[in-house]
Amino acid sequence: MSRRRVLALATRIVRQFRRDRRTLILMLIAPILVISLLAYIYRGGTHHVSLAIVNGDASPVAAQLVAGLSDSQALTVKTMSAADATRAIKQNDIDAVLTLPDNLSLTGSTPQTLTVTLEGSQPNTSSAVLNALNQALPTTVVRALNPAGVPLKLNPVFLHGGPQFDQLDYFAPTFIGFFAFFFVFLLTSVSFLRERIQGSIERLMVSPLSRAEIVLGYMLGFAVFAALQSVVLVLYCVYAIHIHYTGHILLVFFFTLLLTIGSVNMGIFLSTFARTELQVVQFIPIVITPQGLLSGIIWPLSSLPGPLRILADLMPLTYANEALRGVMIRGDQLGALWLQTGVLVGFAALMVILAASTLHREIA
Amino acid sequence: MRQKGNKTDAIVQADQVSRSFGSIVALEHVSLSIPSGRIFGLLGPSGSGKTTLIRLAAGALSPDSGTIRVLGQIMPNRETTAHIGYMTQAAALYPDLSLRENLNFFGALYDVPTGELRARIEEITSEVGLFDRLDSQLQTFSGGMRQRASLACALLHRPELLILDEPTVGLDPVLRRSFWQRFRELADQGRTLIVSSHIMDEADRCDELAFLRDGRLLATGSPDALRAQTGCQDLEDAFLALADALTTAPSGERR
Ligand SMILES: Nc1ncnc2c1ncn2[C@@H]1O[C@H](COP(=O)(O)OP(=O)(O)OP(=O)(O)O)[C@@H](O)[C@H]1O
Ligand SMILES: [Mg+2]
Repeated sequence: MSRRRVLALATRIVRQFRRDRRTLILMLIAPILVISLLAYIYRGGTHHVSLAIVNGDASPVAAQLVAGLSDSQALTVKTMSAADATRAIKQNDIDAVLTLPDNLSLTGSTPQTLTVTLEGSQPNTSSAVLNALNQALPTTVVRALNPAGVPLKLNPVFLHGGPQFDQLDYFAPTFIGFFAFFFVFLLTSVSFLRERIQGSIERLMVSPLSRAEIVLGYMLGFAVFAALQSVVLVLYCVYAIHIHYTGHILLVFFFTLLLTIGSVNMGIFLSTFARTELQVVQFIPIVITPQGLLSGIIWPLSSLPGPLRILADLMPLTYANEALRGVMIRGDQLGALWLQTGVLVGFAALMVILAASTLHREIA
Repeated sequence: MRQKGNKTDAIVQADQVSRSFGSIVALEHVSLSIPSGRIFGLLGPSGSGKTTLIRLAAGALSPDSGTIRVLGQIMPNRETTAHIGYMTQAAALYPDLSLRENLNFFGALYDVPTGELRARIEEITSEVGLFDRLDSQLQTFSGGMRQRASLACALLHRPELLILDEPTVGLDPVLRRSFWQRFRELADQGRTLIVSSHIMDEADRCDELAFLRDGRLLATGSPDALRAQTGCQDLEDAFLALADALTTAPSGERR
């Protein structure tokens, strides 16, 4: 094993790739675009949400509340009976139900609590409802009816999900892993295929370069870009769109790089079975898309039907996602993620072996 | 210079080498030995197995049967590759890198001393007339320039055995002559060159020749010896005479 040879190979890859501006920019910009789009969908803009008010009370306070909330820009308000409201929220015709208790009066000194039932399956809608209510409530009741300034409090009840649950927080950690996995796979398999098409692989094979040095050089070269990509993406997520994040940042990079090692070698291995760059692209729906869909990025693993669940358990990205979520959302330490670490190390090792086995000294 | 005189003087020794690709027999029972310090020409029409024999000697292929030894080692062998400079039939360099970057890369693979690499690259590219294009990307090179770049790359680590697959194909007469002058200088320095060609003019510039046809060795020897053997003045006629002899006597085992 010669350090010089490995570094020469890694440097060559970095040089070639640095020259390919468009790919480089795509690698850095595409993930940011996707995550920004999601951020906009889930957090941005004003949402018009529909609220049903169940008013069992004819008190002046209740009447004022209904009138005040009806004026709110962000809310579409209907009054209905408790039974209608329950049916409507279950059918997702309305997003939330505000129930006003009997004999609502603000003459005492204890804060009044209003129960709001949120449909909850779309976290952005839930937070829009709560925001609109929190803004509207303090100003809807005139001073005369609330001389002591008794605060009105909201008690959110979620039909689905929960108050802390933000889908973007849930997605973002897995995106870092997914994009590294995807791009590194694509780039390695294409550049390895080019070695074959150009015939430069033959020059490498009749040189003193060993198989281990080839695998290591490639890994090192592409790790540089995977690292660059994850640094940019993590910084963007944390500072620009304020993704919930508690864990150790180095662990995020650790898992990303572990996944990258598997990905580089999977690229070398699979490029053996491609004759053209188009055929490399054909691997995407086979090895990338299923993992993107089933590894728990979008739908939680628990929601998958049995056979798909088994498939998901066989996918390395599933473990990377669990690990990255663990680190970023729960602040897990490495010790708590030994299973995920083990599986990813195993995947990387398997791919290294497969890649090395395709690098025969002989090229027929 | 080099002194490898423990066994015979042969730097490459092929012994009953056969190689097929599927149903195509590319080489059949080829035995030959290539003496060191000479220019050894490998001649034959297209598809006769020149490249296959060259790849076997360079260690890019394994024979189906028989053995091929380079510097006494059975090929393919990674240690031996350090002593071989191999120029493939296609340029086989990185088009998106500059010539200097290509040479730096291969220089590092062959462990050319770092302190020497720069000077060597400049020297070799001057010799092949590409010094002023050192920092251009290879994709901007013409065919002949790529060919010269490829030769420079094969020479960089000063190997004792140079295996060049049709190095002069597509070169103009001036460049072709300068290539052959360079080959002669290298042989004079004690290096061995295996040069394949299907141009019979070039045969006369070699010290030793092997004629290949349909994967079989027709004859080996110096140009003069082959002329004497066939009674033909022209090497092309000599080749045809030998090919005829093989067809009329199909089981003709030579040497
Ligand atoms: N990788 C391969 N796969 C399949 N067949 C091959 C391969 N390499 C060579 N052959 C076949 O082996 C035979 C000899 O080919 P080879 O390349 O050795 O010829 P050559 O003498 O170098 O020809 P040319 O002068 O055209 O370069 C041909 O019939 C060719 O089709
Ligand atoms: Mg050939």
